[in-house]
Order: sequence, then C-alpha cells, then structure tokens
Amino acid sequence: MSKPTADWRRVGDKFYRRTQLYTSVFEATLELENYIVTGAPYSGAVALYRDDSKIYSVRSTQAAKGSIDIYSCAGHLIRQIPWDKASIKGLGWSDEERLLVVTQDGTVRSYVDLQTDFTSFSLGHGAEEHGVVSCKFWTSGLVALLGNNTVVAVTRYDEPRPHQLATPPPGEVTSWAVIPPEYTASRSVEVVLAINKTIHVADAAECEDRQLEAGPFSHIAVSPNGKFIALYTDDGKVWVISADFQDRFSEYESKVKTPPREVQWCGNNAVVLAWEDELHLVGPNGSATKYDDYSFLHIVPDIDGLRVLTNDVCEFIQKVPDASEEVFRLGSTSPGSVLLDAASLLEQKSPKANDDIQLIRPNLDEAVDSCIRAAGQEYAITWQKQLLKAASFGKSVHDFYNSDDYVDMTEALRVLNAVRFFEVGIPLSYEQYLQLTPERLVQRLANRQNYLLALRVSEYLRLPVDRIYTHWARQKVRSTTTNEQDICHEIVEKLNGKRGISFEEVARAAHDEGRKDLAVKLLEQEPRAGKQVPLLLSIGEENAALDKAIESGDADLVFYVLLQVKRKTPLASFFRIINTRPVATAVVEASAIDQDQELLKDLYYQDDRRVDGSNLLLSEALAASSIDSCADKIKMAAKLLRDTGKEHVAQVAYLEESMKLVHFQEAFEKDLGERFVGLSVNETIGKLIRLGNMKRSVKVQTEFKVGEKAYTWVRLRALVAKRDWRELEELSKGRKSAIGWEHYYNEILGAGSPKIASLFVPKCTSLTVAERVEMWIKCGMISKAGEEALKAKDRKMLEELRDKADGQTLSTAVSATALSSQHHHPAQPQAPGLEYLYTAYVECLNNIYNSQGPRGIRTTIPIVGGNVTGPRINGKILDVGADWGLTDPSTGIFSADTRYNVQTDDGANIFLQTSGPAQPNGNLHLRLAFETGDLKYYWLNNIVAVGVLSAVSSTNTSFLLKIDAWHLSGEWTNTTFMNGSTYPAA
Amino acid sequence: MAALSAARAINAQDITDKARRDLLQLLEAVRGKKNLVIEKSLAGTIGLFVKFSTLQEYGVDKVFFLENHNVDSSQRNVVFLVRGENAKKVRTVAEQIKLVRSESKIEHDFTITWVPRRTLVSNTVLEEHGVLGEANITELPLHFIPLEHDLLSLELDDSFSDLMLRKDPTSIFASAQALMLLQKQYGLFPRILGKGDNAKKLADLLLRMRSEDDVNSSSDPNNAYLTSFGLTPSAVIENLIIVDRDVDFPTILSTQLTYQGLLDEVFGVSNNQTEVDSAILGGVVAPQADKSAAPATTAATKRKIQLDSSDKLYPTLRDGNFATIGPALNRTARRLQTDQQSIKQTEQSISDLKSFVQKLPSYQAEQASLKIHTSLAEEVMKTTRSETFGKSLEIQQNLLSGADPSTMHENIEELISRGVPLKIVLRLLCLESTLSNGLRARDLESFKRQILHAYGYQHILTLANLEKMALLTTRESHRGYLNPIASAAGDTATDITSVRRALSLWVDDVAEQDPEDTAYVFSGYAPLSVRLVQAVLQKSVIYNLANPPKLGAASIYAGPSGTGWKGYEDTITRIRGATVDVVQKGSDAGVSAARKTLRTGKEGPRTSVVFFLGGVTFAEVAALRFVGMRIGEASGRRIVVATTGIVSGDRAVGSAVESRVFGE
Repeated sequence: MSKPTADWRRVGDKFYRRTQLYTSVFEATLELENYIVTGAPYSGAVALYRDDSKIYSVRSTQAAKGSIDIYSCAGHLIRQIPWDKASIKGLGWSDEERLLVVTQDGTVRSYVDLQTDFTSFSLGHGAEEHGVVSCKFWTSGLVALLGNNTVVAVTRYDEPRPHQLATPPPGEVTSWAVIPPEYTASRSVEVVLAINKTIHVADAAECEDRQLEAGPFSHIAVSPNGKFIALYTDDGKVWVISADFQDRFSEYESKVKTPPREVQWCGNNAVVLAWEDELHLVGPNGSATKYDDYSFLHIVPDIDGLRVLTNDVCEFIQKVPDASEEVFRLGSTSPGSVLLDAASLLEQKSPKANDDIQLIRPNLDEAVDSCIRAAGQEYAITWQKQLLKAASFGKSVHDFYNSDDYVDMTEALRVLNAVRFFEVGIPLSYEQYLQLTPERLVQRLANRQNYLLALRVSEYLRLPVDRIYTHWARQKVRSTTTNEQDICHEIVEKLNGKRGISFEEVARAAHDEGRKDLAVKLLEQEPRAGKQVPLLLSIGEENAALDKAIESGDADLVFYVLLQVKRKTPLASFFRIINTRPVATAVVEASAIDQDQELLKDLYYQDDRRVDGSNLLLSEALAASSIDSCADKIKMAAKLLRDTGKEHVAQVAYLEESMKLVHFQEAFEKDLGERFVGLSVNETIGKLIRLGNMKRSVKVQTEFKVGEKAYTWVRLRALVAKRDWRELEELSKGRKSAIGWEHYYNEILGAGSPKIASLFVPKCTSLTVAERVEMWIKCGMISKAGEEALKAKDRKMLEELRDKADGQTLSTAVSATALSSQHHHPAQPQAPGLEYLYTAYVECLNNIYNSQGPRGIRTTIPIVGGNVTGPRINGKILDVGADWGLTDPSTGIFSADTRYNVQTDDGANIFLQTSGPAQPNGNLHLRLAFETGDLKYYWLNNIVAVGVLSAVSSTNTSFLLKIDAWHLSGEWTNTTFMNGSTYPAA
Repeated sequence: MAALSAARAINAQDITDKARRDLLQLLEAVRGKKNLVIEKSLAGTIGLFVKFSTLQEYGVDKVFFLENHNVDSSQRNVVFLVRGENAKKVRTVAEQIKLVRSESKIEHDFTITWVPRRTLVSNTVLEEHGVLGEANITELPLHFIPLEHDLLSLELDDSFSDLMLRKDPTSIFASAQALMLLQKQYGLFPRILGKGDNAKKLADLLLRMRSEDDVNSSSDPNNAYLTSFGLTPSAVIENLIIVDRDVDFPTILSTQLTYQGLLDEVFGVSNNQTEVDSAILGGVVAPQADKSAAPATTAATKRKIQLDSSDKLYPTLRDGNFATIGPALNRTARRLQTDQQSIKQTEQSISDLKSFVQKLPSYQAEQASLKIHTSLAEEVMKTTRSETFGKSLEIQQNLLSGADPSTMHENIEELISRGVPLKIVLRLLCLESTLSNGLRARDLESFKRQILHAYGYQHILTLANLEKMALLTTRESHRGYLNPIASAAGDTATDITSVRRALSLWVDDVAEQDPEDTAYVFSGYAPLSVRLVQAVLQKSVIYNLANPPKLGAASIYAGPSGTGWKGYEDTITRIRGATVDVVQKGSDAGVSAARKTLRTGKEGPRTSVVFFLGGVTFAEVAALRFVGMRIGEASGRRIVVATTGIVSGDRAVGSAVESRVFGE
C-alpha cells in the first residue's frame, strides 16, 4: 500500500497531487496527436474528432469517413457519430452532458443524452456568410467567434436564442475566452479577446479595451470560478490577473521557446501549460513544477482540477485538498493525523493508541471530521477504509457524536467507487459529486444505459426512479426491431404501477423513430392529457388530439389543436370535427368573434343556427359605416330568420321596425335639422316633443304601436325637460291620464315648478287626504293644505299644519274653526314666519376668475341665464350678471356676492343683489335684495328675503344652481305711493 | 391560540410577498432601464401587491398600457406583461413588437412575461407574426391574489361572461391551477363539495390534475419534495366548497345593501379601489373647494380611494348593512371628538404629551378616513334616496320574498317608460326570470318590445345574450321541475319555492343593527350561495331558521348532523346543476396513515375554502365573513373566500349589453 503522499509535489507552499484514474485508455493505434479532444465537465464523457488541419495518410476506409467518437474517461467507446458534414469549428459540452457541435456555417447541432439524434439551430447574425472561426463553451452556453470578429452567444439550449454581443474592433484575434454569466458583474456572458497587443472585453452592451500593452497574447484562460484570468504572452510569460483587470497576481516565465499548445486552469489556483508531452504547473506567486513523463497528452479541465489523457493513462491533477493535507502531510500533528496514527496503532494492538487518543481528546470532533473529509478525497479504497476506520474509532471514543456526516460520507463513497469502476468510467471527485448532485449522476448513468446501476444507486440514495424507467423504455423503443405489439406489451408490463412514468416521452421516442402505431399505443398509457396532445397532432391524429385537449380542460390546448386542425383540414370537415364537441365550438366562437366573423358565419350556417347568424349580421349592421350597408345587413338578418317560418316572427318584426325607425329618423333629420339616427323609438318621440312637433310624435307612436302609458310618460318627461309649463298647464285640464296624475305632480315639482305642480294635486283623487295635504305642503301652499284638511274635517292634521305653518297665514276660516286652543310659549317672542317667494334656477359659466384682493380671494362667476318660478313672480334671468364672491381668508368660507337681472314674463325688469356665506353642508344661505320701478312688482323693494342656494348639476362648460327664496311674512298685497296712488288700484 | 393556527392555514401575506418577489425578479433579470408595457386589467392587479415607485427602483422607466398602442422606443429594453391565455392580447403584443421594431432606429431587446403561464397558442401567434425568436419569453405564475386576508381572487374580470355567455372554459382551468397550487402548499382538500355543472367540471379537473401532477413533478428535476410522498390530505384545510355562479343568479342580480356592496353598485370597486369625482370629497380634501364656487375646477378630476383593511375605519364599516353606516359614522365622529377634547385637557405633563403625540398619527388617519367615508356615504345616500332606487328595490324585495311576480310587472313597465338606466330594468327582469325559471312567453315578449322601444333595437343582441346566459328565458324552455315525470328536477331548473322554504332564503325580521343572520346583507334575502355553504358548515343554524324551536319545548337540536351535504341532499337536488361530493385520500396509504397518527389528539381548528366560480359579490363576502365569525366563535374554524373575480349585477348584466347604436 503506497503512501497517499507518493504522488504529491510541492508547488510554492501548496501541494499538488496526480492521481492515476485509469490505464490503457485508448488503443495504441489511435494517434491522439491528430485528434482534438474535449471532455464534459464533472468527469463526463470525452469527445474526439480528427483535426482537419493535420495532414494524415489514409489508412483505412473507416478513418476516411470521419466521425466524432465519444468515450468514457476510461476509454470505453460510448457512441460514434459518423461525420460527413461541414467542417467542425467547435465541439463542446454542457454540464448536463449535452454534446454541441458547431460547424463552420454556423449550424449548432445538439446531441442531448449521448444516445439520441441531434436537434439543430443556426447561429445567424451573419455566421453563414462569415463563417465560424472558433467556439468557447461554458456549462450552459456557448460563444462563437465569426470571421468578421463578431461574437454570437447562446445562453440556453432548450430554447436557443443566439444574440450578438458588442462587436470587438477588427484585427486578428490571437486567443480568447469567455467568463460565464454567473460570474460577471453584468450577469451577461463576457468575452475576453486578445486583439493586437491588448485585450478587449465584450458583453451584451459594450466592448471595452482593457489597455494592456504587453500582447499579443497567445493564450487566455479563465479560472473555473471566473475570478482569475491567465494570459500567455508572446515572450513566454504567464500572467495571472483578476477578472476585472484590476490586480495582477503572479508572473511566470516558462523559458521554453515554443509556445504551449494549451493553457488551462487546474482548479482555481494553478495554471497548467501543456505542450505535446510536457506539463508546467504554475502555482501562486510564480512557483511551478514540471511533469514530463508523458507520451502525447491532452488536457481536460474540470471544476477542481485537470484531467490528463494519453493513450496509456487517464490522470487527475489537483491541488491536494485541505483535509488530505492535514491528515497525510509529513510531520503533521493535526488531530486528524494523530487519530489516523492511533487507529493503525490500535490495529497493531499497541497501547500507544490510547496515548494518542488522550493527546487529541479535546479536539476529537475535529479529528473525526477531518478523517471523514479526507476519506472523501481519496481514490484508493484502502485509504478510504483506513480513514473511515480511524473516524469510526474516534467517534466510538467520543461521548456524543452526530454520525450523520459519517453515514453520508460512506454512502457517497460507495456510490463514487461504483461509478469510478473502469467499466462505468466516471471518475468523479467528491467535490464534483457534490456539485453534480446525485440526481444528475443517476441521469448520466441512465444516459450510458447503465440502467441497473442507475436503479441501484437511486434506490440506495432514495431517489425517484421513474426517469430511469422512462429512459430505458425510450431506448428500448429506439433499439428493438421486434413487432410493435410485443414492445408495447413489454414496456407497459415493466412500467406498469410505477409512479410518475412519462409515457409521452417514450411515445415521442417511438414517433421520432417513425413508429407511429407504437407511439399511439404507448400514448394511451400517458395519464396527462395535455402531454398527449402535441404528439398526437404531429402523428396526425387530430380527432384524438382534440378529444384529449378537451379532456384536459385547458382551453389553451383546445385552441391550439383547433388552430392546427383548421390549418390542415378543409373548412367543411373542420366544422364536422367541432360541431360534435361543444367545448371546441365555444372556443372557436369565442376567438372568431374578435378576429374572424366570416368563419363564424360559416359555422352558424353549417350548424343551421339561424338566430345566431342573424344576430351576427345585426352586429355587423351596428358596425356598418353607412346607413345603406346597415340596411342591407338587417335585411339579410331578417331574411335568414324569415325562412324558418313562424318561430322567429317577433324578431323579424323587430328587425324590420328597426329599419323603419332609421328611415323615419332620416326624414326628421332632413326636416328639422337635428340628429335623430341612433335614438330609440321613445327617445325619438321625446325629442320630437321637445322640439315642439307633437304631430310627428303621435305619428311615431301609432307607427310603432307605442303603448299609451309609455307615450304619456315620454311626453311628460319631454315637457318637463323642456320646462314647457304652458303645455303642462294645458295637460292639467285633461280629464284622464294613462299613468294617473301623481307622476305629473312629482316630475313637475322635481323640476322646480311648484305652481304648476300644484295644479295636479286636486286631480289625484285616488290618493288619501293625508297624501294630498303632504303634496300641498311640498308646493309651499300651506293654506291649500289647510283647506284640504278642513274639507276632510281632520282636526289632528290641522293642528300639525298649524305647527308647520307657524306664523304663516292660514286662511282665517281655518284658524277660527280649528285653532281655538292656541297656546304659545310666553317667554320668547313669536318668530315671524317665512312665506315662499320663488324658486330660481341660475345658470353659471365655468370660466371663473380668481383674484387675490385686500379682503381675500374674489371669485368671479358669470351668471348667464335661468328662470324664476313663484306664486307671484315668474320670469327669466338675463345674461348680464355675475357673482363676485369672496373667500374669507381667516376661515376659508366662501360668501356669494351677486348682481343680476330678472325679466318677468310680463316684461318687468328687476335688479337683484344677493349675498351670503356657504354652510357646512355645501349650500349657501343668501340675503336677497330687489330693486325695480315696475309698479306691479314694486312690493319687491320692500320685502326682506332670504334664500337657500344649492348646486343642481354641472357640465363641462356650465353649472346650474337652485335658489329657493322666502320672505318674512307681512302685508304686501298692495303698494301705496307718495302721490296717493296704489297698486294694484283699489 | 387556536384561531392563530387556523389563520396560518392560508396566509395571504405569503401569497402577496411571493407575487411581488416573482415580479421583481423578472424585472431584475432584464438589465438596465426598461419600458414596461402592461395589459390594462393587469395593471390594477399588479397594483395590489407592488407600488409603482418600487417598479421604478427596479429600472422601469415608463409604463404603457398595451391597449393604447403607444409604446415608444425610448428604452432599449421593452418588457411586456400580458395575460397569455387571451389570444387577442397575444396578437396585440406581436403587433406592437413589430411596430416598435420597424419604427425604431435602435435595436431593442424584447421580453414578454406571460401571466400566469406561457401558452401554446401564444407561441403559435408569435410565430405567425415572426417575432417568437425576437423576444425573451418568461412566465409570471400569478394566480390567487389576496384582496384581503380572507379573500383571494384571480382577478379575472371577464370570467363571468366567459363562462356564462361564451361558454369558454378558460377560467375553470385557471381556477383549477390556482387551487392546485393551494393544495400543493397545504395538502389535498380532504373533501370537495360543490354545486353546479361547472363546479363539477372544476372538481373533475382538480382530480385529474392531481394524477397528472404525479407525473409532472417527477419529470421536473427541480421538484424533489413531492416525488417521494405525493400529496396527502391537508391537516389545516377542512374542505373546499365550490359554488358555481350558474347555480345562484338571483344573488348577483339583487342590489347589494352592505356598505361595500353599495359602493360597488354606485361607484364600482375594482382591485380594492374606487374612483369618485373629487367634488364628492370636495369638502374633505380642500376646504376651499366650495360647491358653489368651484365645481368647475374639480368637476373633471377623479380621485382613487383605497378600500381595504389599510384604512382605519373601512374594515369595521364595509360589511354592515348600509342602514347602519350613518349611526356608525356618527359614533366614530363623537368618539374622535371626545378623544380630542380629552387630549386637550390632559396635555399637561410631558408623558401625557408624549402619549398624545404617539396617538396623533393614528388619530389623524382615523379622522381622514371618517371624512372620506362620510362623504362617500352621503353620496351613496343620494342614490338610495332616489325614487328609481326605491322603486326597483321594492320590486326586488317582493320578488325575492316570493310574491307573485306578475304583480310587479306594472312597476317594471313604469321603470321602462321612465327610461331609467337599462341595467336596472334588466336586472329586475333577470331576477324574476332566474327565480321563477323564466317568464311566461307572452310577458317576456311584451317586455322585450318595450325595451327595444325604449332603449333601441340594438338590444335585440342584448336580449339574445341574456338568453344565452340563461338569465332571461321563457318558461317553456326548461320544463324542469314542473314536469312530474322528469325525476332529475335539479338538472336544469331550481325549484325555488321549496328551496326558499328549506333553506330559509327569506327572513322576515332582520335586525340590521345587530344581525342574527346572513339575510341582513340584502335586508331580508339570504343569498342562496351562502346558504349552500351554511348547509355544510352551519347545519343547525339553517335548520332552526326553517323550523323555529317552539317556546317551552326542550331546546334539543333535532336537525341534520354529519358532514358534507348530509341532511340537505334532497334540497340540493332541487337546485339546478350537478352536485359534487368527493373525498380525497392520500395516494400513499402508508403516508396518510402516518399523518393521521401525527394529527390525532390535536385536531385543531380548520379552514374551509369557499370558491366562487364566476365571481362573488361583496354582499356574499360580507355574509360569509358573518358565518365565519360565528363558526369561529363556536369552534375556531375559519372561512377563506376564493373567487375568479368580484362581480356585481351591473357587471353581470352589463357583459350582455350591446353598447353600439345604429348609425355611428
């Protein structure tokens, strides 16, 4: 048993070791010097192909054909890909062991799991034109350098999207390398290119010159952790600098005339220069060592070291892991080392074992840990055992020790030793195993068709096994040629009852092999409807695909299938397919409504869905740009329904009516110059009434058989909206109303004309006295209310009325009969009552001017119109006034201050001033003062009036205010002038 | 303690956090400044969990609405955030990419983030437009978004019309996916109950997805934790109750009478926000904005108001009947006033002052909230006091309480003649139709005619749509329960009379101030949907309502007991649509046995998830919160409401209304 330190070499203050993994790797006839060799990360497979640039003599027909050969690290041939295509410019691996072949024309072929056929994509960006010069790969992507110095990057392979990086300047690229995106500050891949004497770094956005003047550099290598860059200068020097070009760490001079064939990193802290049969290992601070006992060699860098391949051996060079160094280093006195000694002493039954244990007793934890860790780093099984024994011994002495690490390590080692076996040929280091993860290791085993081992490992590590079975089945489908029934049977039997088997993948493999029936058979086993669909589609089983899609409940999938089917099949059979499937029909309808109405029409026609078809035409009519085309569409819509006989007779009638209405409206527009088209029947009637065309409105009513009630309502609303009090007054003389009289009262009162509203109160004979009294009160006519109550001889109501009308003039008769028992509060004087004066609607414009003045903000609001309606005064507000309201700077309360004019219906001019502050509820309380010379309204000069102002509505340009006004009760029935005359004349 | 663990069952905050994280990560992945193009309806949803300022921190320069077609080329990076299940939107995205590409001078980097998933159709559409290779495509798995801690929504605005009008199953699938996600997190729903044909479809989908997921999870190398165990029944969730909107149209058609419900009816609430004319809040926001002086300066501006539990008062107000809101606001105002006075009086010592200062922010927030809600309530009051509202409410309540609908016809006709908004009329007619399985052909024809006359002939389409949605039909079209030979009465029609009796859908005396029953949300009508939930969770309550315990008799509860629909099977079959009752067991018997042993002994309070397929109204949410509170008091159990979206009568009917007119 050789000491583990036998292969160690000191480089600077670190040790490096060389582990022989396999011997007799390649056959001696294989001339490695003529091949380009590239290996997958994590001790994966190695791909070899003949270097085009090397001249070689034709030895046999086989060699002439050319191929890419994939070997395991132990030299076991896994696969041979015959190659007669364009010249290969890049050959690389991803970390899932996907082989990528980039040819000169920019085609990338990707071979996914060592077994299957390739998928390919093109790099684009001018690759075809300029040609690919070379390629660099990292674990999940690649960068290609094109003939015109363009760099194109691909960052993922499942959905490759080649994108061009910033273009470096022209000039020969002497060497280049990539920094994977996970290590760069920009999170995009960066490319380091040596052009002329300097280095350029290009990423997605920009290309920057790093201003190094020591070039040209013939080699560039980026360390596995992306932190360091090694540069090989023309004069035989190696520089190690940080990846951000800020620090320079070491320099080494090789003193060899010929430049090395390759410069690579060995782990993260040593650079290896490789010539044909010699290696220089350059450690930190320029320390170095040479290995020159090789025949022709190739190097394959890995994450924690470097593999060396020759015809004879496969070796792994790495920095001696800390744990191993601690335990094995000569003269080491670390606890781990002592524990190892103690264990071997124990084996020799030497009592000194106990002394050793006592020595490290306080550090026993540490000792056991380092033995366990060191065991993980050993390739020789004997040493693994030795170290684990020591650890076991150590933990048996320890009182409390958590054995998890120990158990995990033994498990890991068992797996590692199994896969390192030369027939498997995956010489994983422990570090690589951890990074690769057991799941992916199992996947790699399956890819190598080591199914049994894969299963064993999975079961041992308690990992899911479904992928292995699926892989097996796919391989089975590909490789066996026996009849389909048997294969299917065999596969189903084997896989039945296993959880999570994806039959879809198996079926896809069968489909790829062109075994359609087998694919369909296998697909039946797939539980996920969604997965079955795409494959069924590509097989050409559209109906089945559609059924499965519907089954999956995924409308997207259904729609997808329908799109595909529609593309492939004639319309008639497309409809046949969907009309037995309501979900499919619904999806087609829903999508067609937005984008393809013609399809919808055909569909309705095909299915004889006439109402839908007719409605669709109606919808088109609505969208039509001209009245004529609108009419045509409606005609067609009606026709469609008319053919069905009686069933849809009502709808046909509506459609015809709708056209008739449009014709009527067009005529009105011509006659009256107002817009009518677009209004409904009732709206048309209303508008006609508002425009004063009673006759025409009646004509519409009879033409369209609008019910009397509806017509009455429309007329009422129109007249009220028009404030056509005269016409309404006229209506109040009518004897009958289709809708009763109460609505008249309500609508008119709501529009602000109590006087007219009151005309309707006596007509509401169907209402109770109390309701009518209430109606009078709302009109402000307490005395009328009193009369009403008196008529009904309702004393209680009269008393209530009295309270309400406190101080107002109830007719004396009422007072006399009803209010015999009057009693007032003696202490307070009786408040004078208010008498209703009028309700005004004031229209103001929105052009408001604010200006800061000595007393606060003056707000000027134009008053441009309105009306006044009251028992003694009716008229309109002239467009001459304004509100010059003031906002009190100390309270923020706005007070109105207005001046405007009212012209009464009988021609008198009245000048008004109002003022008053805003109330918390938003209304304003107003003082009103009147000036007029008109005899009839002279009394206005002498009343004291107040009002409540509230906002009614607003538009973009104006707003409407309502002012209810009262004045203090008093005698104003006539006015006596100084010359003795009175008005009205007595 | 018990309530606490139940609260943990479905943690809304976690969902919000995850959504925010996912979105920001996607934005971060696009390096540098970027323009964000977002679907309008999605913008509101996104606003529920991330602020615009946060997006800016993550490099978003400008935000465009997809619908506006105005994306500019100011940034090299353009990120689209769009629902991938809508082919129309996908097409718009493709068109805009092409447009930007052709118009812009610089080369752009496009990223499309599909919500909630990338679809095959989106691939096909992008491919057809030749932009599939141009864009970097990602997914944002946005499913349930919490509107409140007990209310999860998919925020699918169109789910009601998609399901009812277009019969498009997309939202069923989306719901299933979202519910699957809940199951993955909290375990299988031990029991799935439901009513309605679509509910059945959803339940079937859930079962199917569960078996598919076995395969999916194992083919996904990143998903290790499910493969070894599969799903096992949840220990924190008791059941899932699916209410298909199809089963209960009357509830959405009725006018909601809770505060939140009325806000939705009057102003519309979406994504927890409502938009009102700032003049309404005029007096609140800026005191000088006097009504007479400056309506013009404020008339055009709208103001958004956040309506969620971040507000001081809103959570206590929103679920109350509107009749109680005025008094509640008054009480708060008085309390705040006395607080203020006591603060003024006691601010003598430094420590008093200190505590006063500490209280100040919350006090001010409360005062601001009080002002807002007073203004809102006043504005709502304007509507509720209107004659139209009163009239239509009277008709509605009569219909709901089971009065002969034909007595209401004259009133409805009057509303039509008066030209009240069409939706009000349609809601009443649909309410009658859905309550009595259609209108008599003669009546319906007459109403149709009046509607077409009053509102225009374009509404032929509206009426056809309503018929398609089964909202407004002739009685002949489904004979259903009227035909004694047809045994499966519940298939197409609901026997409302017997259901009203059995489930006490109408309660005569409702104490709005101190409600005893969920019927308070409609002042008398208890939503059928909520009664269905109560038939599962509160059997004794509805039993006692239907069979009031006699005075003097020993108050021994004699009603149905058991779980699921037990005791109400007969009533359930009288309601239209399929009935769902599935018990989900773990796939691996051993594991569930192990779970069971772990669970015994500490059978804690559990959560019921009530899922509304096709939307839920705020009134129903209020009623379910009421139920949840009651069962919470009794046993610590909890209800979480989940839905495809918030729906109201106007929105439901509105989706049928044809908005175009002739000649435009």
